[in-house]
Amino acid sequence: MKRAFRRLGTKISDSWTNFINFFKVANVNVKASMGLMGLGQFMYRQVGRGIMYLGVEILGILFFAIYGFQWLIGLFTLGTVQGDPWTGKDGDNSVIFMLLGLMSLILLILFITLYISNIRDVSRTSKLVLKGEKPKNFREDLKDLLDKKFYKTVLFLPLLGTIVFSVLPIVFMILIAFTNYGDPIIPPVLVDWVGMENFVRIFSMGDIGPTFFKILGWNILWAIATTLLNYVLGLLLAILLNKKIVKGKFFWRLFPILAYAIPGFITLTAFKFMFAQGGPINNMITSNGGDPIPFLTKDGTWWARGIGLLINAWLTVPSVMLLATGILSNINNDLYEAAKIDGASSMRQFKDITLPFVVFATTPTLITSFIGNFNNFGVFYFLRSTITSDGYFVSNDTDLLINWLYRLSIDKQYYSIGAAISLIIFIITSSISLIIYVKSPAYKKEDTFR
Amino acid sequence: MNDVLVHKGMNRKVKRVLGAVGIYCILLVVCAIFLFPCLWLILSSFSSTGSLYDVPGFFPESYSFDAFIKLFTDTSNYNYPKWLLNTLVIAVFNCIFSTMLIIGTAYVISYFQFKSRRGLMKSALVLSMFPSFMGMTVIYILMTQFNFVNNIWGLVLIYSCTAPLGYLVQKGFFDTIPQSIYEAAKIDGATNARIFTTITLPLAKPIIVYTALTSFAWPWSDFILPKLLLIEKDNWTVAVGLMQLGQNEFARFAAGSVFIAIPIVVLYFFLVKYMVNGMTSGAVKG
Repeated sequence: MKRAFRRLGTKISDSWTNFINFFKVANVNVKASMGLMGLGQFMYRQVGRGIMYLGVEILGILFFAIYGFQWLIGLFTLGTVQGDPWTGKDGDNSVIFMLLGLMSLILLILFITLYISNIRDVSRTSKLVLKGEKPKNFREDLKDLLDKKFYKTVLFLPLLGTIVFSVLPIVFMILIAFTNYGDPIIPPVLVDWVGMENFVRIFSMGDIGPTFFKILGWNILWAIATTLLNYVLGLLLAILLNKKIVKGKFFWRLFPILAYAIPGFITLTAFKFMFAQGGPINNMITSNGGDPIPFLTKDGTWWARGIGLLINAWLTVPSVMLLATGILSNINNDLYEAAKIDGASSMRQFKDITLPFVVFATTPTLITSFIGNFNNFGVFYFLRSTITSDGYFVSNDTDLLINWLYRLSIDKQYYSIGAAISLIIFIITSSISLIIYVKSPAYKKEDTFR
Repeated sequence: MNDVLVHKGMNRKVKRVLGAVGIYCILLVVCAIFLFPCLWLILSSFSSTGSLYDVPGFFPESYSFDAFIKLFTDTSNYNYPKWLLNTLVIAVFNCIFSTMLIIGTAYVISYFQFKSRRGLMKSALVLSMFPSFMGMTVIYILMTQFNFVNNIWGLVLIYSCTAPLGYLVQKGFFDTIPQSIYEAAKIDGATNARIFTTITLPLAKPIIVYTALTSFAWPWSDFILPKLLLIEKDNWTVAVGLMQLGQNEFARFAAGSVFIAIPIVVLYFFLVKYMVNGMTSGAVKG
């Protein structure tokens, strides 16, 4: 930790001296651009670029003078005037304040980036001029956007979309985790920053803590059990279908693929009906004189958990099978030939050739499927989302963290607690995958296969 | 001596036959397990009584087309044709926009070696690790704040804007196009934009078809986002609508499901080869 800080310190001082050196050698035009964006470009007669940078500076300053600065302050205060619907008094809407503040923060970062790029740009031009070349004119710039810088043109829209609909919401959610936003504190009531209070509430033994730990325990158990079950079953099925003795492989594979192709919500709803109290299975039991089994009702904790496990297997085993089939076809046949000559039994061949290879090749997907299952929303949402168990805070004994998160934030509007829980989920899943991703050789050598 | 050998050979043969019989038995059971729920749904959709309770066992006692006829004619409560239309509109536009954005992103990340490339890839990885609807709750909050719920175009916008994050399979495809193809065009003085439209895109036809079909199929099966954002019955997608049908409307649910599942299943049978390729490339690349 200490070393990391020291390294950071030297890095900062390095870049500071670099900056000083840069400033010393910079010519008049570069310094001009430092003072007024675009000025240096004008001095090189790059009118187009100059106008654009100047325009950015003017618009930026105008924006921050009129709105942006206030909005940034709003991000910290989250509104000061309490509205009152009875008297019709308009108050501050904390959520809008937060959003606008966040937006102006992003614009500020963008502005600073453009400022730096303006200096970089003019200093690049000055180097070109020193070499005796001509600075690029505007038409050449535009041409570049279709050639050397074509990637910028293409990436513009995807980046914009991702920032608005992925980055912004996630940052917003992270911010909400540190506020008290949520029923009953919903605009027009003013929202406030509360620091770590939500996390303290989750980890302490009040109303939420016990539920959190119960759900977390079941969630981990579920993720391990269902991942292993699906993996083993899918692998066995693939190996079975890969045997030489099996004729008509295409025909046999059709059935798992059928299960794989049907939209999940259809199968899950169908299974819910199948195991319902008045569903066909219980119907058959009662008409034969038995008592209905509480498969998915409030009392059916372990029934429901087991059924969830089996249904998830029905849904995911086909994809594991397809994956393993693809991998099995990649095994070098010579290995088996050699093993046969050495007199190895088919059991031995399986143990020493097939299994290690398949396990090696599928480890990364095993991890991703573990994380997918950790956050498996669908299964228990369809089977039991209307049930609330005793001793659970807005959830039941089969809910996973992600289901709980949904019920807290959508059904009950406890946004800040929900946000804190999603942060905790992120920390759990990302630390698992980070370790794997960074250590996997496939990640390190991403470009060697090109 | 000879007898023993013959006996041994017989034994092995018997063993092999028994093994084969065992394997086929297991396969039959597996197929039955996968087929049974589908069969149940299909037969139930032709049930002449609508409710789940009316049937003593799994399969209906008499069959008719009632459920299908009701599905399309009795639209007062459950407007299935409207849901179909909504989903179709969302699917078509999502298919167009998502495919363009994903193919563009994948091509750029695969082909260009620019400075922030690694950083972008890492950020995409980190973003994909957040629980998928962590962002959705925020989008939901914002949409309610701005009164932008109940709008299928909002859904198209969100789907297409979040699509580029799933660029990895497509990037894997572009990685396999040898650079030498581009070199020749470059020597002839073609710009990157020209190379992209005249060389890369025609070569990428299979992956474009794959991307288009998967993004077309997605709105038919997604239920979380439309359920959050589409509140009025007439704006629902098929998935949201079918989820609302209770046990009394079981035959109608089955009919509606079968009607949309058949095209999707056919689609998947065509796509399965690509899917396996995508999955295995994911297995190697992590």
